[in-house]
Amino acid sequence: MAHVVLKDLVKTYGSFKAVNDVSLTVNDGEFVALVGPSGCGKTTTLNLVAGLISVTSGDIVIGDRVVNDLDPKDRDIAMVFQNYALYPQKSVYMNLAFPLQMRKLPKDEIDRKVREAARVLDMTQLLERKPRELSGGQQQRVALGRALVRDPAVFLMDEPLSNLDAKLRVQMRSEIKRFHQDLKATIIYVTHDQLEAVTMADRMAVMNGGYLQQYDSPAQVFAHPANMFVASFVGSPAMSLIPLEASTANGGAVLTSAEGWSLALSPRNAQKVARATTRKVVLGARHSTIKLHKSAIADAIPAKAYTVEPTGDVTFVQAFLSGAIVNISVSPNVAIAPDEQIWLEFDQERIHLFDSETEVALEAS
Amino acid sequence: MSTVSETISRGRSARRVRIDGWRWGGRAFLVFMLLYTALPMIWMLLTSIKSGFAAMQFPPQWWPDQPTLDSYQKLLDPQNSVGQDFLRFFWNSLIVSTATTILSVIVAVPAAYAFSRFTFPGRNFLFFAVLLRNMFPAVIFLVPLFILMRAIGLVNTHGSLVLTYLTFGLPLAIWLLKGFYDNIPVQLEQAARIDGATRFQAFVLIVMPLSAPGIIATAIYSFIGAWNEYIYAYTFLSKNEQLTLPVGIQRFFSENTTDFPGLMAASFMMSVPVVVLFLLLQRYFVRALTEGAVKH
Repeated sequence: MAHVVLKDLVKTYGSFKAVNDVSLTVNDGEFVALVGPSGCGKTTTLNLVAGLISVTSGDIVIGDRVVNDLDPKDRDIAMVFQNYALYPQKSVYMNLAFPLQMRKLPKDEIDRKVREAARVLDMTQLLERKPRELSGGQQQRVALGRALVRDPAVFLMDEPLSNLDAKLRVQMRSEIKRFHQDLKATIIYVTHDQLEAVTMADRMAVMNGGYLQQYDSPAQVFAHPANMFVASFVGSPAMSLIPLEASTANGGAVLTSAEGWSLALSPRNAQKVARATTRKVVLGARHSTIKLHKSAIADAIPAKAYTVEPTGDVTFVQAFLSGAIVNISVSPNVAIAPDEQIWLEFDQERIHLFDSETEVALEAS
Repeated sequence: MSTVSETISRGRSARRVRIDGWRWGGRAFLVFMLLYTALPMIWMLLTSIKSGFAAMQFPPQWWPDQPTLDSYQKLLDPQNSVGQDFLRFFWNSLIVSTATTILSVIVAVPAAYAFSRFTFPGRNFLFFAVLLRNMFPAVIFLVPLFILMRAIGLVNTHGSLVLTYLTFGLPLAIWLLKGFYDNIPVQLEQAARIDGATRFQAFVLIVMPLSAPGIIATAIYSFIGAWNEYIYAYTFLSKNEQLTLPVGIQRFFSENTTDFPGLMAASFMMSVPVVVLFLLLQRYFVRALTEGAVKH
């Protein structure tokens, strides 16, 4: 196993910058998820690490070697592809043996390693089959087996679960996580599904538009999103982002909506708002931090329920504030009808404030 | 309620009648086409096993009274002068067609792969330039190519034919194969390269075997094209011992105007290699033509 360092990594196609100055370090044995919407540069970044495309500028270090100019085969990596990329003409056994044959290992050692990998992944009885005779989950397992049979320095995984049905995806998710824990493998895992990143990774790198937005543990990213993009991308349903105007009244800071209501801020939040470049700020709140009341109380903001979505464990209510959608979660025991008058109370300790110009999170000094 | 179901069933039966009309029309058309293509071949086969006299009778003998394999024995007998000629023409055609096929595969496979996988300056222009040749009838190039062949001293050699057939067959071969490579996921090569293969190994070990149906289709296509070609062989070759089968049979016809069974036997044997090739490899050929219709 080895660590991976990306230093000021840039990849351009003509005038289009697919990857922009991305720098991050993946520690030895760490599981890092590259996550972002499609076209954000995460797969390009992974392909750069794999050596399938060439670097425009910057450095990639695997272990202690700069690998910029090395062929994929010399980088000591293994990769699991979204469509598995199993060799269709070869049996499962030969698929697993291929990376070892390429490295000219003796026949009996290849046989030993292939059978060992098959045993670990519980597919000994499938060895003689062709990939097309396997189910999606089994194919996925063979792809994983082909990666681990060689004991590489780094595992690269490109959306390995997105071709599976929902149930199997959850199952394979825990299998890959277990696989990481057992092998202490260094894994770089690309996904567009923030839930996969949050549940599996030690650290997640959120990307958008070719830029690295935030690189931290899922808990940190969730609790302290660096900017509005990260805030709205991580977490489901998305964090509500309400555009407001800051002003001072009665010696304290107040956020005022164009709709007429206003929200008094705690001293700490007032400090944050004071650092904004303009007076326009965005209030962010996750569904679980907003309290819903069915009658007016002090400091609660009046709104109308727009939709009500029961999910069993919890019921999601949507409302509009200042033209933005606000998601609130309530206990399924609370009966709310669409168009019912409700009052929303924000938790001053758990709201997020963003500069509406730069979209960056505002921090108290 | 009843009126609704009545209208539905009436509508359905009316539609069924119309579909049946089309279906029977289609079947009749197919039967006609089948007879249209098969009857001349059947007649060719029947004539080839008649005696010379029986072949000229009118009204014709629909089934030969005394079927005989004389014509075939004559054509395949190296002691006989007709047999010597026929076997030599056959051998010449085999050499020219095989050489064309092998060279065409050797050139088309890497070319098609490059067009499918790499971006390089002039890629689109080259790709369509490759097709430009096919926009003109082959005869247009007859005189220019003859002059060219004379200039480089290839007239009266089989090489001139191989070169010419390549220029005609390659464009389509490249197109056909490119479609094939486009359908092979690029991730397979990427996986192979990560698994320790060089780019070339990934191509030879992973991609080539997968494109075997395409390569076989291309090979059959090139072989048939070269095997049947007449005009260029007629123009470029004049020495008797070099002639290919189409020209040879034509000469045979003018020299032995009355020997219809012999002519038909020669024609039949000329179609044997193509048919055998096709029967042996047809499952690949059919797969090649349907591949890519469905996304895997």
